[in-house]
Amino acid sequence: MAAKPAPAETQPCWSCGSMGAAHFCEACGRVQPPAALDYFAFFGWPRKLNIDVAALDKDFYQLSRKLHPDLNARAGGQEQEWSLEQSSMLNDAHRTLKDPVQRTQYLLKLEGVEVEEQSKSATEQARATGQMKKQIVPPDLLEEVFELNLQLEELRLQKKMGEDDPALSEEVGRRKLELEEKHEALLEELKKVWASWDAWIDRGDGEQAVAQDERKHALDKMVDVLNRRNYIRNLVRDVSAALES
Amino acid sequence: MSYSDKVIDHYNNPRNVGSLDKSSNDVGTGLVGAPECGDVMKLQIRVNRDTNVIEEAKFKTFGCGSAIASSSLATEWVKGKTVDEAMAIKNMDIVKELSLPPVKIHCSVLAEDAIRAAIGDWKKKQETAKPVAVEAQ
Repeated sequence: MAAKPAPAETQPCWSCGSMGAAHFCEACGRVQPPAALDYFAFFGWPRKLNIDVAALDKDFYQLSRKLHPDLNARAGGQEQEWSLEQSSMLNDAHRTLKDPVQRTQYLLKLEGVEVEEQSKSATEQARATGQMKKQIVPPDLLEEVFELNLQLEELRLQKKMGEDDPALSEEVGRRKLELEEKHEALLEELKKVWASWDAWIDRGDGEQAVAQDERKHALDKMVDVLNRRNYIRNLVRDVSAALES
Repeated sequence: MSYSDKVIDHYNNPRNVGSLDKSSNDVGTGLVGAPECGDVMKLQIRVNRDTNVIEEAKFKTFGCGSAIASSSLATEWVKGKTVDEAMAIKNMDIVKELSLPPVKIHCSVLAEDAIRAAIGDWKKKQETAKPVAVEAQ
């Protein structure tokens, strides 16, 4: 995928008036004023999650060469300022889209999903209907987290008392490895959800409207996987701290 | 961010820490977690089967001071209440009592979830234990 202007936002070049200018003019090469674009649109890409990272890097380097403020230093104040703003947005966009988790979180934000808000409204719904709230974290994972926390507490206490129980340290270390594997596996699970999201994007305007539940299902699933992954990541961090203390 | 005096009090002197026999028929167990912060909270109740009054409540929470205080307060509040009264406890009651700041509201949500989960578990046990006794009250 070559660097190209975002079609929807294209304005005529302020300098030469030719069409096809997004970040810079394709005809005369002058830097254009920054447009209010999301990071996907900044690269002229649809909001799809399974992206070609090599192509992203290539577009990034191409654009950053053309937009670099040093290269536009002689162009005059206004154009240099634009190039500074464009470069800074380019860096943010590249960093965010390159990382699979950040990319997913960014998409959720763009699509208006507030993760914490969801948990609160689920509680309110449970209260209103008298139904049990569906927990975000599956019960078996919760049990595991609780058990491991009990062991960590024991481990910290022992260390504080200057005692050492190699069997406990070993057990906790083994569980840490299991958690790290789970953490990796959840990334693969996330990538599977990307496929269904991307399929929805590919449906195009007319069909997207009738397939709203597909969209919602994919977004919910992404939140679910990210939540579980965060949980495990925090736990791994706590385990590491307890083992090293 | 600083904790309110009430949070600090519950944190330093948590009420009702411990556990009840999970397998006992009159005990309900709620185990809930908040993925945003990695907190995990276990709340257990022992219910009098004649009066439906919660006679004992225990908790164990791994999490921040606000999560510990919220669950500690929750055990205090449910004790002496009937199951239905306990179901009426709302997270915002806990927020007010403990003066929790907005970033800690999810701790109170967790405590409300824990109460509901514990009661839900107890109710499930009652249904399976005495399926025909519903009309006997």
